[in-house]
Parts: sequence; C-alpha cells; structure tokens
Amino acid sequence: MRQVTKFLVFFCLGAMNGAVAEAAPISTNTALPVAKGEYVFREQGVLSQSGDDTSGADRDASVALSSTVLGYGVTPELAVFGIMPLVNKRLQLTTASGQRVTRRSRGLGDMRLFARYTIFKQDLPGQTFRVAPLLGIEVPTGDSSKYDSLGRLPAPLQPGSGSWDPFSGVIVTFQTRQFELDFQARYEANTKANDFEFGDVARLDGSLQYRLWPRELAEFTPGFLYGVAEFNLIHRDNNRRNGTSDPDSGGTTLLGLLGLQYVTQRNIIEAGIQLPLYQDLNGAALESGYTVRGSYRVNF
Amino acid sequence: MERKYKFRHSIVAGCVSFVIGILLVFSPQVWAGQSHWLKVDGLACPYCAYGIEKQLKAIPGVTSVSVSVKTGTVTVTMREGTKLTRARVSQAVRDAGFTLRSFR
Repeated sequence: MRQVTKFLVFFCLGAMNGAVAEAAPISTNTALPVAKGEYVFREQGVLSQSGDDTSGADRDASVALSSTVLGYGVTPELAVFGIMPLVNKRLQLTTASGQRVTRRSRGLGDMRLFARYTIFKQDLPGQTFRVAPLLGIEVPTGDSSKYDSLGRLPAPLQPGSGSWDPFSGVIVTFQTRQFELDFQARYEANTKANDFEFGDVARLDGSLQYRLWPRELAEFTPGFLYGVAEFNLIHRDNNRRNGTSDPDSGGTTLLGLLGLQYVTQRNIIEAGIQLPLYQDLNGAALESGYTVRGSYRVNF
Repeated sequence: MERKYKFRHSIVAGCVSFVIGILLVFSPQVWAGQSHWLKVDGLACPYCAYGIEKQLKAIPGVTSVSVSVKTGTVTVTMREGTKLTRARVSQAVRDAGFTLRSFR
C-alpha cells in the first residue's frame, strides 16, 4: 500500500497544478493583470489516468477533478484567488489473495486561497514584462477521514489532506502580441494532519503560448488561437507517517503539456494533454500516466 | 377628392417625419460627442483588453470604447457636453493594469 500511496501523491500533483484564471497558460500561473474591480472565473476539468503496473498488484488509478476558480482584482497590482476542487479518486488493485478491489473517494478537496502582487512591470507598445510573487494557503476543506469496506482510506486517496499548508512563489511573465512566456517557482510546505505529513513540494513551471491564428493581426481581431507548450518540474520530499520518513515516497517528476487555447475579450476555452517526460521516484512505485485538461474562463 | 388626397399625403409625410425624428433623437451618431484616441502600452492580447474597456466605460459620459490590440489603440467616444481628461483616462488605464502612453 505504500507504493500506492506514493503513486497517488504524484498523480494528484499533476492533476492539481494550480494555474488560475487570467489569460494564462493551462497548467502554469501568470503575472498578467486582473483589472481593479474585475472578476475572473474559471472552471477546469482534469482527468489523470495511470496503469502499466509491474509490481504484480496490477494497480490502475485515476483522478477526476473539477476545480472552480474565482479571482478578483483588489488593486491593479494585487489580485486574490480562491480555488475549490471537487475530486473523484479511484484506485484498483489486486490483493495478495487474488481479489480485485476498488477503493475510491469523492467530494470537496482542499481549497486554495492566495494573493498575487505585481512588484515590477515594464509596459511597452504591444508587450509587457511582469514579476509577481504569490503567497497562499491550502485550507483543509476536504474530508480527510473517509472509510470504505477495507478500512480507512490512505491519506493520498482522501479528498482532503486535513492540514493547513502554506505556499509561496514568484511568477515572471513576458507577453507580446505574438507569444507569451511564463515562469513560476513555487514552494509548498505541507504540515501534519492525522499523523501523516505529505512531503514539501518545490516546483518550476514554464510555458510558451504562440499565436497560431490569425497569422496577421487585423485592426479588430475577435480572438487569438494559441498553441501552448508547458513543462512542470516537481520535486517532493518524502512523506512522514507517525513521524517516520517513508522511503517509498517523494522524488522528481518532469511533466510536459501540449494544448490549444482560444482567447477572446471575455472568454477563454482551452484543452491540453500532459505527459510525464521524466520520473525519478524514491523506491519502487507506479509512475504517473497521462493527464487531460480542459477549461473555460470568463471575466466580468 | 383632391383635398382628401392631399390630406392623406400630409398624414403620411407627418408620420415619416416623426419616425425620422425619433430615429435621429435616439441615434448615437447624432449624439456622439468628441472621440479620443489613447495609446496603451502593455496591451498584447484580447483578454487583457476587457479590463481597459470596463474601466473606461465606467467613466461618466463615455458612450463607447473600442480596443485594437494590433495597434495598442483605444478609441473612446463621449456623450455630447461631457469632457474626458487625461488624468481620468490615465487612472482608468492604470486601474486596468496597463500604462497610458498618449492621449488626444
């Protein structure tokens, strides 16, 4: 079961990549502005699937996640965001007795609240460069003590972590009319709940959005179609259970994403597929598979 | 007979004049006041343009706002008798998160 736990940790990381709601990459944050008094809303659907288990347990796991994001521009520099996920986690495995079992949980996940403040911007005709740190906390709104017929679900299979987990980072964005580059460095300090502590997470995210259509800009263009390429380099420390480090948890994963995004003045619709490019996990574990993402955003 | 015909003509002409008058009164073209052209720096995608449009439309007297991402130009049309100042425009563009380069 420890391997199952480890597997799901990375699985969920891929699914809950915390991009928000501005005109932005699909799985990466951006430092582009939210106007004062403006709201941005995003609904994102994520489906992660993995299998190909060589351990003999024939594990197959999936996470379906729907996250609702609401952002608000307090000032031109300060924007606040709330992300509320609904999760549906499922794990199938074959027990030592040869029985095929399914364990699952569904419900509200942990809500993320964070603020982003633009500390530097340089606006030029048709382009902008911005730097914006962010500070936030993951609030334990999700149930972290669910049971099924086999007993208490392992921590990574619970909808919520049960812990208050602060995170901080910095986002750098460079946007022109032709392309946009976003980089984010973020650190998440996970705390203990229910005698379990997820390992801290350090991550680097990068994204390139390139305008595919229209090739030539007209005076008034209804929308842009972007091709999107992103990477997410994620390192997680070992989990700790009852104060003891779990050697079969933690490690490093590099994810790559390709997608399309259509952007108008009020709406964004987008979809992408994310695949692991490199995985160096501690101990023997099932590796992450593909993740499909789709979302809709509107500002008002 | 001819008098009745003239009377009908007068009625029709009156109705047409009334309709044209109504159309003219409520036509934005007729009431369109001064237009201003803004150059905005940092504007590079359609989604960001909404914030500028929203902030400018909140200024009293603004009847229409048109944003061109291609040129970074914003055209603001005012109701007749109202005035738009550079300071007010600059604040609106700043509230949208961008930088005003020029205003005329």
